[in-house]
Amino acid sequence: MLSIHCRARLCRQAVLLTATLLLSACIGGSGKPAPAAASAPPVLNTAAVIVDSGPAAASGAINHAYVTVRVCVSGSQGQCANIDHVLLDTGSSGLRLVGSVLTAAAVTLSSETDSQGRTIEECVSFAGGQTWGPVALADISIAGETAAKLPVQIMDDAGAGAPAPASCGANGTLVNGVTGFDANGVMGVGVMAQDCGSACVAAATPLPVYYGCTSGGVCGAENSALSAQVTNPVAAFAADNNGIIVDLPNLTNDNGDATVQGQVIFGIGTQADNIMPATAITVLGANASGDFSATYNGSSSALPALIDSGTDSYSFNDSTLALCTGAWVGYYCPTVAPQSVYAVNTGATGVSVPSVSNMVNFAIANPNTFVPTAAAYIDLAAGGGSTNFTWGMPFFYGRKVYIGIEERAAGSYTGPFYAY
Amino acid sequence: MSRRPPQRLLPALALVCACAPAAHAGLGGDAASILSDTIDMQGVATAAHFPAYEVQEIVTGGGLRVREYVSGGRVFAVAWAGPVMPDMKAVLGASFAAYAQHLASLDHPGLHRSIRIATADLVLESAGHMRAYYGRAYLPALAPAALSVAELR
Repeated sequence: MLSIHCRARLCRQAVLLTATLLLSACIGGSGKPAPAAASAPPVLNTAAVIVDSGPAAASGAINHAYVTVRVCVSGSQGQCANIDHVLLDTGSSGLRLVGSVLTAAAVTLSSETDSQGRTIEECVSFAGGQTWGPVALADISIAGETAAKLPVQIMDDAGAGAPAPASCGANGTLVNGVTGFDANGVMGVGVMAQDCGSACVAAATPLPVYYGCTSGGVCGAENSALSAQVTNPVAAFAADNNGIIVDLPNLTNDNGDATVQGQVIFGIGTQADNIMPATAITVLGANASGDFSATYNGSSSALPALIDSGTDSYSFNDSTLALCTGAWVGYYCPTVAPQSVYAVNTGATGVSVPSVSNMVNFAIANPNTFVPTAAAYIDLAAGGGSTNFTWGMPFFYGRKVYIGIEERAAGSYTGPFYAY
Repeated sequence: MSRRPPQRLLPALALVCACAPAAHAGLGGDAASILSDTIDMQGVATAAHFPAYEVQEIVTGGGLRVREYVSGGRVFAVAWAGPVMPDMKAVLGASFAAYAQHLASLDHPGLHRSIRIATADLVLESAGHMRAYYGRAYLPALAPAALSVAELR
C-alpha cells in the first residue's frame, strides 16, 4: 500500500519520488524542489460560491451552495467543460458528477477498471438514499487550483453502465439525477481525504461501497486502495491542499434571499488570504468518522455532529417543537417563532486538536413565513433523528467556516478539524 | 462515542439448524427470522438477555453492527451502526414500505443525512455520512411498556 501524507511543501518532494505511481494523494509536482513558501508564486485560490434556486433542470433548490468546476478528460487538453451548480458539500469527500450532465457537455470520462478488467463502480449511501455509478479519472480545476487524474464518481442517471446491484438502492431510493440533488454534481470537500478510507482497503468481507462489474453487468463488492478511492479534490490539489474556508455573508432578509454570493478559499494558512486567526476562533477536532460532538439545549446526550454545507437546515430532534405540514413537511414550524435554542459543540478527544467546547445560540424560524420563491433561508431547522446533530447551511451564513483535512497540518493544527 | 456491547453475549451460530427461512425477517418478524438475517448479512450473531427483552447482535466482516431486539417472540426494534448502511429492506422487513414512502414524500431534494419518522406504527431514526452511519427503528405496538428508546443503539 502506497500511502503518502502531504504536508505542504513535503508533498512536492514526495511527488518527485513517486511521480509515476502517485495518482490521488498529491498531484502536480513542478519537477523542481519546493521553494520557500514566501517566494512561491500565489495561486488564485478563491472561487465564487452562489446560493440560488439551482440548475435550470431542477429549479427550486433551497440552501444549496454551488460552485462551478472545470472538468477535463484526464490527459486531454480539449475535452473540458465548466460544470455549474455543483453542490459544495463539507459533509462528504470526493467529486460526484451526474452522468447525463457530462454527456450533454461532451465530456466522456472512461471508467476505471480493476485488476481483473472489471469496471469499478461505487455505491454511496446517505440517510435518504443511495447513488450509483462508475469511478473515472478526471483532471479538474477550480479557481487556479488543479487536481490531475482525480478519481471521481459518475452518478449514472442514464443507466449507461452496470445496473445497481440489489445491495445498492436497498435503503430506499436510488438517487443519481439532477432533480434528486438539485445539483449537477456534488463536490465533497469534507475533513477526510478519501470517501471510504481504510475500511474499504482490506476488509475480509469487502464493504458494499466499491464494486467490480463485468461487461455483463454483474457486480461484486471489492476492496479499493486509498489511491483509487474517490478523493476529496482539495486533498489532491497541487497547492493549498490542507483544507478550505467557506465564507458566506449573512442574509439580508429574515424571510429569505433570492441569491447569496460568497466564496470558498482553498488552503488554510498557505497564503495571505487564508490565515487562521490565533484568537476568537473555535477549533473542533474530529474523530476517525469526521465527527465532533454536540449537546442540544442542555440535553445530557452528546451526539455525533458535523458542520455540513450539504444539508439545507439545522437537523436534530426536539420533540417539543411542532413539525410542519404541507410544503415544509419534515421541517420545524415552531408555534412561537423565532424560537431561541442552543447547542454546545465539543471537539473529539484523543485527536491532535485539543478538545474545547463552544456554545452556539441559534434560532428556529417558522418557514411558513418565508418568501416561497427565495433560495436562501436563515434559521431553517429540520426534524432529524435523536442520534445526531447537523449544523447545516444556516450555520454558514455570516461565518467563516474552516475545514481541515485529515493528516494535513494547517497552522498549529492538524486535521481532521472544523473551525469557526 | 463508544457503544458498549450488551452483557453476556453468547455465540448463537452453534444453534443453527436447517429450519425453513422465516416468512418475515427483520423488524416485526418472529425471533426465528434473525437466523435468516444473519445469513443474508454474512454476519456472526451473538445473543444477550435482559429483563424486558433479548438482543441478537449481528456483526458483519466489514464492521457493520445490527441489533435486533426481541420481546414476546417478535423483533420489536432494530438498531445499526457502522461504516455503511445496512440493507434496509432486510432490516426493516414489512416496515420498509412506510420508510420508502416517507423518503418519497420529502419535498426538498438534496442530501438527506438525517431521517426521522414518528407515527403510531413506526418510529425510525437514520443518520450519517460516509464512514459513520447509525440509526434505529421500533414498532411501538410491540415494544415492552418500560422501554427506554435510548437503549436501542
